[in-house]
Amino acid sequence: MIKYFINIVAGAISLMKGLFVTFKNLFSKAVTVQYPTQKLQMTERYRGLVDLRIEKCIKCYMCVKICPTACLALAHKETAEKKKEFVYFKYNMELCCFCGLCDQVCPTQAIYLNQIYEIAVYGRDKLRDIDLLNTEKYGEWAHPTVK
Amino acid sequence: METIKENIHTEEFWVNMGPQHPSTHGVLYLEVKLSGETVVDLITHIGYLHRGIEKIAENRTYTQFIPFTDRLDYIAAMGNNLGYVLAVEKLMKMEVSDRAKYIRVIIAELQRVASHLVGITTFAQDLGAFATPLFYGFREREKIVELFDDICGNRLTYNYMRIGGLQFDLPKGADEKIKNIIKYMRPKIDDLESLFSSNAIFTARTKGVGALSKEKAVNYSVTGPNLRASGVKWDLRRDEPYLCYDKFDFDIPTGVNGDSWDRYKVRIEEMRQSLRIVEQAIGGLPEGDPTIKVGRIIKPEAGESYMRTEAPRGELGFYIVSDGSAYPYRMKIRSPSFSNLAVLSELAKGIKVADVVCVLGSLDIVMGDIDR
Amino acid sequence: MVSILTFIIMIAVGAAVLGFIAVSAMFLIWWERKVSAHIQTRYGPMRVGWHGVLQSVADVIKLLLKENIVPEDVDKPIWWLAPFFAVVPSVMVFVCIPFGNLFGIDLIARDLNIGILYIMALTSISVLGIFMAGWGSNNKYSLLGGMRSAAQIVSYEVPMIISMVTAVMFAGTLSMQKIVEAQRGMWFIFQPNMAVAFLIFVISATAEINRTPFDIPEAESELVAGFHTEYSGMKFAMFFLGEYTNLFIVSALAATLFLGGWQGPFLPPVLWFLIKTYGIITVLMWVRWTFPRVRVDQLMGFAWKVLTPIAFANLAVAGWILLK
Repeated sequence: MIKYFINIVAGAISLMKGLFVTFKNLFSKAVTVQYPTQKLQMTERYRGLVDLRIEKCIKCYMCVKICPTACLALAHKETAEKKKEFVYFKYNMELCCFCGLCDQVCPTQAIYLNQIYEIAVYGRDKLRDIDLLNTEKYGEWAHPTVK
Repeated sequence: METIKENIHTEEFWVNMGPQHPSTHGVLYLEVKLSGETVVDLITHIGYLHRGIEKIAENRTYTQFIPFTDRLDYIAAMGNNLGYVLAVEKLMKMEVSDRAKYIRVIIAELQRVASHLVGITTFAQDLGAFATPLFYGFREREKIVELFDDICGNRLTYNYMRIGGLQFDLPKGADEKIKNIIKYMRPKIDDLESLFSSNAIFTARTKGVGALSKEKAVNYSVTGPNLRASGVKWDLRRDEPYLCYDKFDFDIPTGVNGDSWDRYKVRIEEMRQSLRIVEQAIGGLPEGDPTIKVGRIIKPEAGESYMRTEAPRGELGFYIVSDGSAYPYRMKIRSPSFSNLAVLSELAKGIKVADVVCVLGSLDIVMGDIDR
Repeated sequence: MVSILTFIIMIAVGAAVLGFIAVSAMFLIWWERKVSAHIQTRYGPMRVGWHGVLQSVADVIKLLLKENIVPEDVDKPIWWLAPFFAVVPSVMVFVCIPFGNLFGIDLIARDLNIGILYIMALTSISVLGIFMAGWGSNNKYSLLGGMRSAAQIVSYEVPMIISMVTAVMFAGTLSMQKIVEAQRGMWFIFQPNMAVAFLIFVISATAEINRTPFDIPEAESELVAGFHTEYSGMKFAMFFLGEYTNLFIVSALAATLFLGGWQGPFLPPVLWFLIKTYGIITVLMWVRWTFPRVRVDQLMGFAWKVLTPIAFANLAVAGWILLK
């Protein structure tokens, strides 16, 4: 009989403890931001879309070889003075897994991952054949930044 | 004279808890045979998230495979990275610098805290505490995930460990951030516990439900917090130490009955112990440069190795067979959630329908790990 | 024969009450979303109107425009009538709720001298709506949900009514307005066994209106979506409206019976009534967003083994106090 009452009172007290926790949180500051009027700043090492500093690329093909999903396609030709020139450098964003291995392996830091994270488009053809040699390729996407 | 036997026909009916689930554990398909409200039989169907990762491994070099390991147990990706990298290092008999070892321990333990936060709060959501514990758990986890974002650049698929070291060193100010995380997290774990542990409704729903005995747990090769909740004191960090876990001082929490409440309680205690380990590690972090360049093609000699680590969900093992070339010949991944899930059909017999969800939530499985 | 003036007054009062119910339900939906959001440290609706005040309007427009899907093989009359049985009794209760006292006129549609009995009878009818929805849907999961809900509501009525009877005993009358006036000296809740009755009333009322932690029939339960799976569009909106109206009713009852109704210093009585009612509503919402759900057998055990004996004991103690 006594145990019955003790159980009830103990149960009620335990429920009160839970209520206190939520009450505390009722008056604490919200942790969300009102996107898209407020946007969060990405970190320095954030891995967004693949981008290229064209003048630094030495066409060593290391990034193409190390990509796990084979989303980079590069071809070059040699000019008369034995200098390498681009034929094309294409990037298939549908296959890219944003791992950053190409960024890490590049000896001249020509290829890098920028900070664009809003990558919603209206047609999949915009994702497939991104020409890395075009400096305006990410013009439609939000806040391109140069690292 | 013939006696006519009357059959009183009660029907048992099959109910599908189909691949799309209200309780969010990924794509799991359960066929439950009910007799009234009690479960008579339970058949598990998996394979809805199979991506063929083990076969993919046969066509990728060892460094190229690291992003794929992120996608196994996507809630605790650092643990998978670590397990794989340790397996390859064991195959190549490679030594790792001390600073890399310490940083790996810190990262792995913080990942354990983050993963248990998800496990516990989704369990509470399955029981009906609608979203409030989930938001609190994810708010705490956000601090850890932001730290990982600072360190390696991504929040879910980190690709941070490299064979022989790490991708980057800790950035400037990471020390302070880690110490702040520890200071912030301890009262929050107490908050979560007082929201749940002593809560009479929660204990009434979880105590005694889905009790897993010691012998059954060992026979079904259940590992991780589920095994420790059944009373078996087995933790790979203590019994087969890897990295530098033998230098740190921590306890192994165990349960008594092996019911859902014990599984939840073990996870809360493990979070506290993980914070202890991180505190000790960050106090004594050695100097050095743990980064590894990735251009070199890694060619281990022919042979095989099996390395197991204590992932947040249990024992994660990588068995690699190498034939001397740059690509592995066979990679087999022993995933913890696969063995943990097998025990569900045993535990589910005889309990009520509402408790099936409770047991499933307390086992804390991730479909990415099961289906690979 | 009723005169034209009385008729016009009846229509006006009826329209005022219905208008209040509609506005109150829409406000409650917004309030619930805001309270739940701030408990979860986020913002809730922010875009539609200032801090999302017009969100309910947007939701009502959306529900009105939805397609009305009628599944095959439903039991047509029962299925069509179920939402009405869920909503109409709740609206009818509003006849007796004392909103306040404005310049000497009692703001109550009709102060029946059997007010409490009328309210108790009507709250018992709303279980029919749920049961009809469960049966008429021709869906074994809805039937399960409906039956569970019927069992839950019927069992929790006993403690609720007994605690209401305790208040009635202290007031000495069944009329709502006179109960409020009987608390002129001191609100009932300040007497110890009335405080116990208040707790029992609030807990059983939470179970009566199917809110967490007792929301097995309605929430995304373990297998199915409960008794209102097969309803869409305006019929679903009626169930929803019925639930929030019920929430308002039980809070208003708690405020009237235990917290002194519309009495209080300085502010006009209507405002006091609304403050007390919405205070209790906020407490109920706070409880909803904290606790997990109780299992069905534990629910029944709790009602019959804990609440009912305590309610009866409380009633006996109250009788003894009054006889002294």
